[in-house]
Amino acid sequence: MRPRFLLSGLGLLAGMAVTATPALAQSEIVVGLMCDRTGPTQTVGVFMCPGYHDYINLVNSKGGVEGHKIRAIEIDNEYKVPQAVESYQLFKKEGAVLVGLYGTPQTQALTQKLTEDKIPGTAPGFGTASAADGIRYPYVFPIAATYWSQGAAAVQHAKSQLGGLEGKKIAYIYYDNPAGREPLPILEDLEKIEGFELRTFAVPPPGVEMGPQVLDITRRFRADFVISHLFGRAPSVSIKEFKRSGYPLDKIVSFVWGHSEADIQAAGGWEATEGYSGIQFAGVGTDYAVLDDIRAMYKAEGKDAPKEMDSTVYYNRGVLIAAVHVEAIGNAVKAKGGGDISGEDVKAGLESIKDFSLTGLVPPLEVTPADHEGGGWVQVFRVKGGKFEAVGDWFRAYPEVLAKHLKAERS
Amino acid sequence: MIHRECGIYKTSYQADMALYPLPIAKWTVAAFAVLLIVVAPIVLDEYYLSILNLIVIASVGAIGLNILVGYTGQISIGHAAFMSVGAYTAANLAVRFDMPFWISLPAGGLMAAAIGAIVGIPSLRIKGLYLAIATLAAQLIIEWTINHVPWISGGVQASIEVPRPSLFGISLDTQRELYFFLMFFAVLAVVGALNLVRSRVGRAFVAIRDQDIAAEIMGINIFRYKLLAFAISSFYAGVTGVLYTYYLGIANYEQFQLVVSIDYLAMIIIGGLGSILGSIFGAIFITLLPIAIRWFMEGFGYLLFTQAELMNIVPHMRLVLFGALIIVFLVLEPEGLNRLWQNVRNYFRVWPFAY
Amino acid sequence: MVEWEFLILLLTNGVLIGLMYALIALGFVLIYKATDAINFAQGEFVMFASLIVVFAILAFGAPLWLAIAVGVGGMIAFGFGLERVVLRPLIGRPVVAVIMATIGLAAMLRGIGPMLFGSGTQSLALPISDAPIIWGPLFISPIQMLGAGVSICFLAVFGWFFLKSRKGIAMRAVADNQQVAMAMGINVERYFALAWAMAGIVSALGGVVWGNMLGVDVQLALVGLKVFPVVILGGLDSIVGAIVGGIIVGVVENVAAGYLDPIVGGGTKDFAPYVLMILVLMFRPYGIFGKQIIERI
Repeated sequence: MRPRFLLSGLGLLAGMAVTATPALAQSEIVVGLMCDRTGPTQTVGVFMCPGYHDYINLVNSKGGVEGHKIRAIEIDNEYKVPQAVESYQLFKKEGAVLVGLYGTPQTQALTQKLTEDKIPGTAPGFGTASAADGIRYPYVFPIAATYWSQGAAAVQHAKSQLGGLEGKKIAYIYYDNPAGREPLPILEDLEKIEGFELRTFAVPPPGVEMGPQVLDITRRFRADFVISHLFGRAPSVSIKEFKRSGYPLDKIVSFVWGHSEADIQAAGGWEATEGYSGIQFAGVGTDYAVLDDIRAMYKAEGKDAPKEMDSTVYYNRGVLIAAVHVEAIGNAVKAKGGGDISGEDVKAGLESIKDFSLTGLVPPLEVTPADHEGGGWVQVFRVKGGKFEAVGDWFRAYPEVLAKHLKAERS
Repeated sequence: MIHRECGIYKTSYQADMALYPLPIAKWTVAAFAVLLIVVAPIVLDEYYLSILNLIVIASVGAIGLNILVGYTGQISIGHAAFMSVGAYTAANLAVRFDMPFWISLPAGGLMAAAIGAIVGIPSLRIKGLYLAIATLAAQLIIEWTINHVPWISGGVQASIEVPRPSLFGISLDTQRELYFFLMFFAVLAVVGALNLVRSRVGRAFVAIRDQDIAAEIMGINIFRYKLLAFAISSFYAGVTGVLYTYYLGIANYEQFQLVVSIDYLAMIIIGGLGSILGSIFGAIFITLLPIAIRWFMEGFGYLLFTQAELMNIVPHMRLVLFGALIIVFLVLEPEGLNRLWQNVRNYFRVWPFAY
Repeated sequence: MVEWEFLILLLTNGVLIGLMYALIALGFVLIYKATDAINFAQGEFVMFASLIVVFAILAFGAPLWLAIAVGVGGMIAFGFGLERVVLRPLIGRPVVAVIMATIGLAAMLRGIGPMLFGSGTQSLALPISDAPIIWGPLFISPIQMLGAGVSICFLAVFGWFFLKSRKGIAMRAVADNQQVAMAMGINVERYFALAWAMAGIVSALGGVVWGNMLGVDVQLALVGLKVFPVVILGGLDSIVGAIVGGIIVGVVENVAAGYLDPIVGGGTKDFAPYVLMILVLMFRPYGIFGKQIIERI
């Protein structure tokens, strides 16, 4: 009998939980952050979300935004939609004026709700390319380069590396899901414009083995350059397979989710991956003054800097999201002349983001009511001598092609 | 449900099969209905209503899965795929042909039922684990098909935005309005399932579950009933998918992946196999579990961990507890929360004169 | 390159990767063969084992051989404990109960792993080179050779074990009919524990090989998804079936990716084995090498 009563107790406990209502503080500005620390993208979340909190804490330790402290509530959604819906409602109940979305299905599931509730949400690297269109989706802000911009940037990078694309062969190896297929129209368009030969190679999830695709690229198609758009464990597997086929790694450029410290580790470490390049929408590495500030903040508290800071690709992205949030809230508070801001004010604040670089970590974003992407700036980084090294400066590629596609998508 | 009966005095099969075991049961059901339909939407604020909405949707899916797994004894790891079939059917109808929800919703369910019946065909020859894996294959094949056929998925994004359901020209878009919308179909689902399992069909299902060869010898057409079980279960799944679609305003296959199938299996295991009430308990439990753990850890976790550690520990703790609870229920209480509920009832049936 | 050379490349790659799938499938088959239990947490076993190995190297600076020994030992202990706490109470319960228990176990391992060892991705270096072995037209990766070799060794060892050794024959008896085996004086529960421990050993070595291939973090558990078509094709209770099923899946994947993908315009690699599996099940409901069960009332 005893175990049964124990179980009844557990059931009661779960029932009681609903009745808890956290208090609401007045002077704070509340921001909700969704995260995935346990689901399929946890290797990203466990580094990105601490970066977010560290920057918010840094701002708060300096007195907050225009004198207002920011309270960031993080809820892990395990990359599941129902949990994301629940956490969004909690953010709303707590009075959040801005939500950091996480995950493509979650972003899509909440898009309509955000618009109805007039609460802006940022989704850097998530969601769809068409969300860059601020007229169609007024309350969703990709902020960072979408997959379309990344596709265009990858072609530009290939062009500069190969010294012209006329008659060259480019292989596009992609994760076989909507996100992976998204850049295809851009690449196909650029194929006609630049006159290269494009062939696509799909890697179905979970992508733990891709021998045949890589053999096809290197032995049958014999690509001059490879654009890779993979997620999860697949990028490191692809690096290993390309090495096995004797393909030079500096002829590969990866999209934003396939080029982090974790991928390098999994592919066998820095030495084994020398030359592997990737597109980034936030600065990579430790050479940014803002990161030193965060270290100094930890030191002042008598703590060591967290080990998450070593994974600079994702950690810095967390810092970027937080910085964009802080900037938008700052703009909103300034415009309103007080801390009593609403989601609409923050939307306007996001749309007036311009010219802030956060010591070089953030690209020269310029968000407008029509362009929620902020221009689609990226920078290419390459593995060199045990760290990521920038190849050139921030750039945006083929904006006229992207504008044409966005316009076609809207109608 | 909560009434006290003081013994079993049933003398006929009709009495045993009755929907209301006692006259007073009608009143308790009525009280519950008033509580859920009148009191809850007035008293609860939007956040709690949104949780309730998620529970209501999950209940429909869990009941459907329980009809297949709990009543008919056929394992399915492809439940989420049938949801996506329903979701995309309804979304396509709603967007392309401008159909209202009262056409697209049953259509989504029927389409899922048809696909479910096809997936159920192998169940005649294969059973147990082999069947489980065949349904897993169905999950992957349906996902792949939706993902690769733009005609179904509505383009490269594989997601279709759906307008809110509207009734008499009023668009149902607040949590409260959606609650009534969802509740209406959930009540239909529960009443339908309760009536199904006490009917001839329901008893045939149970006979197949208990011993399919014996059932066949007794004259039950196994093939027909197994397919029927798959179809009904998939119909429920399809409706769940449509409800999600209307609730979220978008159909997206990434919401219906393998992990979701597993969540629903966990619901019926924890709630109680072969019980409609148990399915609802399971849906409540699985939906509330992450919220409860978060609430608990935020309340007491700071005693042991720092804030930064807590951020990592809370989610992992939930995963561990989720797994542990499944195992604990399987080992200690195979009949799930429903059985616990019965135990509580049995205890109070003679209370306070327990001896 | 000539077309047939590409085909040969695909086929060798398929056979080698198939043998590596078989390495994971073996653990699954062992458990089913001996205890009739279905382990949906096989991928998580592999993940957990490689986490232990990496942790031993990173935290205690253990040499590789010791770390692998710790991994094997840890998984044996884990297998014994698991059988005692979780699976023994479930003996004689419906299939769905055992499936769900292992699904629950999988969730627990995915939670416990990162909680104990951290969520970051680690590399598991083995003292073998990354450079391919070039042999005529073939490009063979050393790690795949190693994985295939380990797989074949296990096939030989288990083949001997089940055919010749006393314990192996007892285990077959247990698998055949638990009650009769018990009546013949075989300690059934001990053999169940032994089977789980053996699966632990296979998972540990599988974890080392796959951990080197993919890098070690929670996502390593994804290889578990590859197991199902392998074991179903081969037959759930056949060791040879696991190897043959692995090779079939590996070859089908490679040929599908090489020749079907360009036609269909999408990734068919992970999907083709499941279609093949369903077709096989329609004609042989117990797999190619599986044992047909005669049902009685």
